[in-house]
Amino acid sequence: MIGFLLDGLIAAGLVGLAYQAVTSRSLFRGIIHFVVFGLTMALAWARVGAPDLAMAEAAIGAGLTGALMLVAYRRLVEDRRDAPVDPGPAKSRLALPIAIGSGLLVGVIGLSALFSDVEPGQAGQAVLADLQQVDLGNPITGVLLLYRGIDTLLEVAVLLTAFLAARALAGSESGTGSPTTQGPETPMVGALLAVVIPLTVLVSVHLLRAGSYEPGGAFQAGAVLAGAGVLLILSGRIAAAETAGLLVRMGLLAGLVSFILIGLTPLLHGGPLLALPGLWAVYFIETAMMVSIAITLVLLFAGGGGLKRGKHG
Amino acid sequence: MDSLGLYVLAAAVLFGVGVYGLIVSEHLMRKLFAINIMGNAIFILLVAASGPVEGAPDPVPQALVLTGIVIAVSATAFALALMVRLYQETGQATLSSRDEGDDG
Amino acid sequence: MTPTDLITLSLLLAGCGFYLAGTVGLLRFPDVFCRLHALTKADNLGLFLVCSGLAVHSGDWRIVSLLLLIWLVGLLAATVSAHLIARHAHEHEADAPEEENELR
Repeated sequence: MIGFLLDGLIAAGLVGLAYQAVTSRSLFRGIIHFVVFGLTMALAWARVGAPDLAMAEAAIGAGLTGALMLVAYRRLVEDRRDAPVDPGPAKSRLALPIAIGSGLLVGVIGLSALFSDVEPGQAGQAVLADLQQVDLGNPITGVLLLYRGIDTLLEVAVLLTAFLAARALAGSESGTGSPTTQGPETPMVGALLAVVIPLTVLVSVHLLRAGSYEPGGAFQAGAVLAGAGVLLILSGRIAAAETAGLLVRMGLLAGLVSFILIGLTPLLHGGPLLALPGLWAVYFIETAMMVSIAITLVLLFAGGGGLKRGKHG
Repeated sequence: MDSLGLYVLAAAVLFGVGVYGLIVSEHLMRKLFAINIMGNAIFILLVAASGPVEGAPDPVPQALVLTGIVIAVSATAFALALMVRLYQETGQATLSSRDEGDDG
Repeated sequence: MTPTDLITLSLLLAGCGFYLAGTVGLLRFPDVFCRLHALTKADNLGLFLVCSGLAVHSGDWRIVSLLLLIWLVGLLAATVSAHLIARHAHEHEADAPEEENELR
């Protein structure tokens, strides 16, 4: 009963926050509502029994998306102080009927899927039965790397492509507007970093290692590591550079390249593409992907092509 | 009705809110919120409607959604870069043609 | 209900009370400094009470030390971010009235 009440509260909160995010008066409020919406989504994932998704949502969906939106907002505001940033909502007579219709459509699809008599989740049962033989306790990591390897490979490629496209759009003149704090340094930030950065690295390594037998994995670990990078950028320890050094380039490509190389090797002795040769390959690819995901996300936040020592570094 | 049904209903309402926001909002960042909210609604639907396997939600849709979350943040980052560039070029972050006549 | 449950329940309820007070302060106090004062003091104590309630409930040293770590990290993050917000507000007191309005 209390669980159902909690679920109702979370569901109502999601809807209210989403409405606030798209209609609130100022854009800044919208961003804050969107970030809280992401955190509430993480709670919802935890409630439906998907802790992997809860962690990914909290780190990527709420944390990094919110940080990226705040950086973009700041670039909009400081570019032209006097310009009107937000024209406010448009008037549309069709909006409400279309919204209600599409909501009904999704509701009918979802409820009919939920209450249909079809035996649910045969693929999931097959995965769980299959993974008993491999020493991989987390079925989601198993699905991501053993059964849907091509999707995961392309996902890393999409992330890299998004970074390259954003980099190409930014042009050369805007590489300097990095989101560093201004003003004199305070000793408290240093104290915070001294505790939080090692702890963040520890947590992300734990998440990576845990990903093979309990909730966690390369994406969550990479996002947490990227959070440490965002903190370092905000405190001016590292800053965006025009071009990437060799180490950053290698880090950017590590996940994609190692996945492709290991995925291609089975072809040499007549096996199928992306049939990973063993658990070590899973661990290796996950580690490389964690590094790549973290560096890509940090560079997207920094808005530059590479990283260098910041003014407080 | 159980909790999963509740989340499916919430997903339906969220999708409606997302569509409404996408139509109504002028600012591109708000349209991005709306698109992300629609995406999240579909994610909830995928996981909640797939039904549990051995007590936990089906791992296959969970893996799909995990991929989806990362793709969503990639697309959002790219869209934000597009928006900032549009603002630098034109001085506004909307696609509206309200003050230039009705050609859009 | 065992005495342990009773202690847990009262600690959790007390923690929730402090969170409520902090949030009311955040919403109702007039300026940045008063709000930070409400938020940091009340919420840190609330977090401590909730953590200790859960620690009593679990009775496992591993979980107790994790909860202690959570409280300490939360304390550190709240302290530093409140300090940074307050310093920024103090430096820009005169020239940023509209940003303050947006936060309201």
